[in-house]
Amino acid sequence: MIANGAYFCRSALDGLRRAPLLHLLSVTAIAFALLLGGMSRLATRWLDSLLIASRNQLELTIYLEPTVSEQQAGRIAEQLAELGAPARVISAEAALRRLRLELGDLGKVLDDLPRNPLPVTIELDLPASMRASAQLSPLLARAKAIPGIADVDDGGQATAQLVGVARALRFGAAAVFAIAALATVLIVAATLQLTIYARREEIEIQKLVGATNAFVRAPFLIEGLIQGLAGALAAAAGLAAIARLLGPRLNPLISFVADRVPVSTPRPLALLLELTIAGGLLGVLGSLAAVHRFSRS
Amino acid sequence: MIQLFHVSRVFPGDYAALSDVSLAVKRGEFVFLTGPSGAGKTTLLNLIFCEDQPTHGQILVDGCNVAQLRRSAVPALRRKIGVVFQDFKLLPRSTVAENVALTLQVVGIKGQERDRRVRRMLAQVGLEHRASALPPQLSGGEQQRAVIARALIHDPLVLLGDEPTGNLDPVLTIQIMDLLCAANARGVTVLVATHDPALLGRYRKRTLQLDRGCLVLDSEGTSANRRAAQA
Repeated sequence: MIANGAYFCRSALDGLRRAPLLHLLSVTAIAFALLLGGMSRLATRWLDSLLIASRNQLELTIYLEPTVSEQQAGRIAEQLAELGAPARVISAEAALRRLRLELGDLGKVLDDLPRNPLPVTIELDLPASMRASAQLSPLLARAKAIPGIADVDDGGQATAQLVGVARALRFGAAAVFAIAALATVLIVAATLQLTIYARREEIEIQKLVGATNAFVRAPFLIEGLIQGLAGALAAAAGLAAIARLLGPRLNPLISFVADRVPVSTPRPLALLLELTIAGGLLGVLGSLAAVHRFSRS
Repeated sequence: MIQLFHVSRVFPGDYAALSDVSLAVKRGEFVFLTGPSGAGKTTLLNLIFCEDQPTHGQILVDGCNVAQLRRSAVPALRRKIGVVFQDFKLLPRSTVAENVALTLQVVGIKGQERDRRVRRMLAQVGLEHRASALPPQLSGGEQQRAVIARALIHDPLVLLGDEPTGNLDPVLTIQIMDLLCAANARGVTVLVATHDPALLGRYRKRTLQLDRGCLVLDSEGTSANRRAAQA
């Protein structure tokens, strides 16, 4: 079989030359499916980056009972530090100043308040290694048990919602890609079957001189592979164009949500490799379906 | 080399193309298979190279029972057989050299060795100057010679000819028959179907005559053939 590699490739290229429009249809279908897959891959990757960024920027705030003084808060902070969570006390005045700053122009309304409504709080400066839920959950449970602590806000709800959205998006993208991939395989199989039908005389002659099924099938598998690779290249070009068009518009949005955190994007070579493998698989699967159906008939 | 035991081939509609045919062809023999159109010559050849299956009976080719052959084993059998078709069956978009090389491609013979054997075979059939021509550019005689080159290039044990001279004029017929005789002289068992009495008269070879699917005459009637017929 290997000795005939050049013959198979020549035969496959000849097949592509004979019906260029038919093969263009297959290449377009493969490119479209891969473009969909690539876009959902980029989207989920960006969402993952946002998740990581939001976890890293999470502010863990300890709310104290209203009766706790600043001195008592200091002792609670020492207890928290003993648990492995470095903490700093934010006085009621400091908290109000911060709120005024965050509100900007609207901060002036705080001047009209008869008294400072904010309690003394404690903020935890957790190292990144402790932010994983496996380490964080027991720490927060032990913190809640310390007398004087009313509540702990770990931003878990917001993160959980983001994780849910990411999961749904990932599942939806996978489902859409699976449907598109199946449709593509069927299109490739249908077009190649027409090619096989057009070359049935040639196949008959090959079989009469002793060609095995593998010998007859090989050029069609190569045709499918070439279609897949061409589709992958077209999809890669499409993705590059989309990234160039949408990138400048998306970056400010991402920076707004995840300030100062670099958003992870796939390396172009890795993405091209993934697309090439996926495209090749789609093409070969389509041609396998076509030759299998032809052999049975 | 080829043995048929009580072989019948009945097509749908109860049309018996072959009825209870038994015969034996020895290794290295040259045999004509003759009879009028519709006698069953092509059916018999098709059964020998597994293009069709008998309804009854057994067929042995080089000791291999063709009637019970698995589909996956058919290519290996066909590589032992060269077939010359009346309608040539050449690939119209491939050159003469590529058509002849196809048989070697199929058995996996590599580049230079393949090219060398193709050149030698084309020289033997007098087509070396037409190596790069396409089949539609060839005359009938040249096309038939290309088919013979394709059938013989892998040194088959058996050469089957289905009316190989059916469409050719007398001069070309002699050229083609000379090629088949030359192959036979090299040890290839040759079985040629023809309904041309002139051919049988010119080449005095053993003749098997079919009529309406039955073997009605064996010109030699050797003991081996009688034994096969009685089997």
